[in-house]
Parts: sequence; structure tokens; C-alpha cells
Amino acid sequence: MDNKFIVNIIHRPEMVPEYAEKVTGHGKEEDIGRKALLTESLDIFKTQQSIAHKNGLKTTIQMTYASLFNDEAVELAKADHEKYGDEIALSLLGLPCKEFREKYKTKDFCIWMFSMEDKKSIVDDVFGKFHDRFGFYPESTGSYYMDADLVNYIKEKYPMVKCAVATCWEEGPKAYHTCNNSWYTFMDGGPWAPWIPSKQNVHAPAANEEEDSGIVAIPHLSRDLLACYDGNGSNFGTHPQNVLRGMIYDSKTWDFPYLYNLIDQYRDLAKYNNGYAYNMMFVGPGWMNKMGRWEAPYELLLKSYEDGMAYYGQLKKEGKLDDMTMAEFADYYRQKKTFTEPECALWRDILYGSDKQLFWYCDPFMRVCANMDQGGAIVDLRPYAAKLEWPVGIGTKHITDASYPFLIQEKYRAGYFTHYAGEGTVRSAKLTYNGEEVDLCLCRTKAHFSQEGNTRILTLDPVDIEFYNLTVKLQTKMYFEEGSSAIKIERNILEMSNPDAEVEINEYMVACYGTTEYTEDMSNITLSCTDGASSKEIKYEYKCREEQMQGATEVVAVVPEIETRVSLSCEKKAAVGYIKEGYAFSPMFTLGYTTKLKDKEVFATWLNLAKAN
Amino acid sequence: MAQSGKGKLNYRCPSCFMRDLDIDMFYDKDKNEYHCIRCQYVGTEEDILEKNEMVRFRYRDAMKRFTKFDFD
Repeated sequence: MDNKFIVNIIHRPEMVPEYAEKVTGHGKEEDIGRKALLTESLDIFKTQQSIAHKNGLKTTIQMTYASLFNDEAVELAKADHEKYGDEIALSLLGLPCKEFREKYKTKDFCIWMFSMEDKKSIVDDVFGKFHDRFGFYPESTGSYYMDADLVNYIKEKYPMVKCAVATCWEEGPKAYHTCNNSWYTFMDGGPWAPWIPSKQNVHAPAANEEEDSGIVAIPHLSRDLLACYDGNGSNFGTHPQNVLRGMIYDSKTWDFPYLYNLIDQYRDLAKYNNGYAYNMMFVGPGWMNKMGRWEAPYELLLKSYEDGMAYYGQLKKEGKLDDMTMAEFADYYRQKKTFTEPECALWRDILYGSDKQLFWYCDPFMRVCANMDQGGAIVDLRPYAAKLEWPVGIGTKHITDASYPFLIQEKYRAGYFTHYAGEGTVRSAKLTYNGEEVDLCLCRTKAHFSQEGNTRILTLDPVDIEFYNLTVKLQTKMYFEEGSSAIKIERNILEMSNPDAEVEINEYMVACYGTTEYTEDMSNITLSCTDGASSKEIKYEYKCREEQMQGATEVVAVVPEIETRVSLSCEKKAAVGYIKEGYAFSPMFTLGYTTKLKDKEVFATWLNLAKAN
Repeated sequence: MAQSGKGKLNYRCPSCFMRDLDIDMFYDKDKNEYHCIRCQYVGTEEDILEKNEMVRFRYRDAMKRFTKFDFD
């Protein structure tokens, strides 16, 4: 099968680029109509377009509201559409301009943060103005984030829209902190690669036609799936100036092989996704400011863009890349992807020299990250099965917080390591023998991907668990069956130094819910275990209680705030299921199973997600 | 003492950068030094450039070109 690697190159003539007014205008009174600013902005757009075309790449021109008032910008778009086949689309970024400020009497500029009434009014205004200038409506649109209500409204009023930039991967509290707590884009928990959003929540892919929002969503940039999860997301993406922002270049030679490694690792993902891989580059004009950006002078900003685009151009010449417009890509994606087909990424560290490896999995029911540096522990889990309706913007409960809530998030909720007390969120297992205990989180390993029918399988290299007088060789396998809304985890005892020994295994999941680092009220959570005939229950009151049941078929937590039912299940009658409530200093819950294992035995458990009704 | 402004390049605080914070610094032309308004870092351009080299310590593979992305 030939692999297909597709790139979307997007440019926007943003007449008042984010950053530019703040940076170039320092020491001056704010004036977003300054002629010098407008001229420079358009010059940057022209430069970007010319670099792409020089390298034989077509672009999607996302007109901004402000640019629709500028005759030159409109004529440039028309000319490049004619000559190069660029798509003329419409961005909901770049709203700020004199006309917008006068009309809407606000400095807000993120479309998802407006009230629903304003969203409708702005969309109609911007789409109407676009139609006035071009005589047709756009097929593509976007912003950093597009909430479900906004997408549904656009699709209803402008059904020709088929593609949108709809989230920026893991741009949330980390980006907020990096910007000195002044950048309010909270949109963690979404897909990193294109998807078909559900009508209920843009982050959660649609499971079927009924849930289909009608658009294909693409992420804003293609992010480093390891570096971005821990560090400042804005340093690690297919955005050359972001790489400079991260200082990931040689300050003497101005070389930055990291960007090419990042692009190449995305190309490599084709082998996990039926021969398809994707990249998106979308550099706002503020990043090619003549004044330079932070310590990078203009010449370096320009060089980085030229070099990045030249690499895509070279790949295209070698027949290794297809450049498409957003609308073309949406058509391709619709024809190639089924609703339940997952997106998979077995991702390695390409920056820090750690050889760490993560596996990311995303389908309409969950987004999961397993960390091979922690024995394959699940360190991030978003229950898309709930298809949580989560309106955002002024007038809703979540004005700026557009993140899809997690059950597990190792960075915001500690993961394996906590300070002296309590537990952090993680799905792992512990082995005990003669009073000694070892958690698989401390067993570093690597994984291999395979597919059998509709099941994606992650097979981890075996690890040795050394007790005082027993060594156990254990192998973990994870099974992701398409459409099942479950993950099966198998622990295989391959070998024991004493073949007659018996170890205890504790399969556990510590979880909570939230979108930020700070704890939420757990009081409405209910924990239960059942064997089908009887059940035990704990209503969460921070009292550190526990219940257990031999032969439990399922141990369950229902989290009403995120409409999620999460459970572990197992088929082994001798296993003991348990539930654990947390306490104020450890506001978590634990679901788990314990059982004894001998040499060559296998223990399987399932993690199941469903919408709690 | 006159107010600080922006320098010829808009340097970030290297100390804050190491804790994942992008903070613009301001330039005091009388003292020919930049200062961070969040932390206590103060330094000349030369010192900033030196510290910017130091912050790269964590990118051990920044200059390496990868050709293999799995461990198969």
C-alpha cells in the first residue's frame, strides 16, 4: 500500500496580527488602524504566499474579517486562486479591526468566547461580507477553537462549509502559564490529527452519521505528541517560528533539524493509520514581523519559513507529499475514513534524547495516552463516549474553558509520583510477593504496533520485576477494538525464576475528573461493584472508605458532572474487585481487581467507557 | 531614572524561560541592562545570550537528524 502524506498550508491576511500591535506598538498609544501596521501585515501575507508558490505548494487563504475591508487583500486572494489554485476560505481569527471594534464594542477576538447571540451575529456578518466580496460562500473556515454550537450554527446556515480548523492540540493551562497567565485559550483534550467532530462536542469524534457535525476538522498545527504534552505547546509544532520560540535551533548556524524530524515522524504515522498521514502548517503574520520576534531577528524568522516550506516542497517533488487545500482535504478524508476508524500514533522522543515512547489513540469513544516509560500505564484518558455537551463563551458555565474533561491526566493530577501522601491519576498494575510491591510504572519499556481485523494491538517488550528472591518476566498487551468503547489489557507471566511461586497482581485505575490542575468537587460521584446478583456502593464523601467483592464482574464509577460511567471488568471468578473512595488530601477514586497469578498465566481486564444517563 | 523600554531585540527572561515562562524583558538604557519584571533576573545582552545557550541543555537531540521513529 502506498502511503499518502498530506499537507494543508494555510495563510491569513491578518491586518492586525496578534502580537504585532503589542510588540511593534510598544510605547505608543493603541491604534489598530495604523497605516504602517496594515501595510506590514499585508506584506507578510504576500511573502508567505510567494514562498509557498515558489516551492510548488498550493495554499488555503483564510480571509480575515479585517482583510475583507481591504481591496488589495481581496484582489491578491483572487489572483492567487486563479494562478495557483489556492482556496479562498474564511477565518474567524483576525476579527480585530476598526470596523469590528466600532460595531461590536469589544476587544474580544476569540470566536468561541463570545455569547451565542454574538457568535451568530459575527458569523453572519463575516460570511455575508465574504459573499459580498467574492460572490460565493467559503467551503472552509476555522479559528483556534470552534465549539459545537458554533459549528452547528455555521453548518445550518452555510451548508457548503466542509472543513474547519477546530482545535489546537493541548493548548490549555500549560499555554496559559507560559504566557504569564494571560492567554485564555483552554482547549486541552482534543484530537491531534483530522477528525469528524460530533454535533455534541467538537473534540469528540462522531461515532455515526447521526452525530456527524457535517464538517471535517483539522488541528491548528501538527504538534509534537511528547514535547507538547509536558512543555509549552507553542514551542513544538509544524510552525517554524514556534521552533525558534522554543530555542530549538543552533544560534550560530540557524539550523533546526528538529522541525524536519517532526514532519518526518508525522509522515511515519502512516503505518499506524492505513497508509495515511497528515500535516498542517499555519503561521500567522505576527510571527514574521519585521521587528523580529523575541531574540529572533526578522532574517531568521524569514529563513525558518523559507526552509520549512522548502522541505515540504522537496517532499512533494520526491512524490512523498500531496499538498491540498482544506476543502480538497475534507473530500479526501470523507472518502477514506470511517466513523469508528481510530487515529493511532506510536510516538518517540525526537528532542530530549530520552528514547521515551508514547502511544496515542483516538476514536469516537476515547482519547488515550499510554506511556511506555511507565510500563504502558495509561496517563491520559478522555471519555468521549459521554459526548459531553459543554457550551462555551459568555453566558455559559464555561466562558473560556473549552477543554474536554479528563479522567486521568498525569501532569495535572500527579500520575504515579505524589509527594509523600495520596495518589495521582494513572491506570497501571502492581505486583506483590512476600510483602514486596512493584508498580509497572517503574518498568521502562518499548511498544510495537499491530492490527488484527478491527483491533489495534500494542505489544510491549517484556519487563523483569525483581523481588528479593523471585524474578518475574511479564509482558503487557493492550487491545483497542474498533467501536468497542473499551480497552483490554492483558498481563502475561512469561517466566518466573521459581516456577511454583505465586504473585498477587493489583490492576488499578486511580481517576478523578477535571480540565485544569485544580481539583473539582467529587461529592456527586458514586462507586459500586457488582457480581450481577448483588452490589456494593459508596457515595463519595471524602471518607477514605473501601469495598470489595470476590467474583465482581465490574467495578464502576459514575461521574455525573461529565456524564461519564467508567468501569473495570474481568471474567476471572477468583479475582476480587474493589472500589476506593479518596479523601480531601487525595481527591481521587480507585477501581481495581486483585488476583493471584502463577507462571505462564494471563490476566485480562477491560477498561470500559459509556455515557452515564 | 527614566522608564525602561524595549531593546533592539525583544529578549525574554532566560531564567523564566527555563520554567516554561515567556516573559518579555525591558531595557534600561542608563544601565545598559535588561530586567525581568516577574523574577529577579537582571543582565546585559551578552549575559542573556550566554544564558540562552544554557537553556538549550535539555534538547540533547535538537541537532540530530532522525531516520527511524519506532523501536521495531
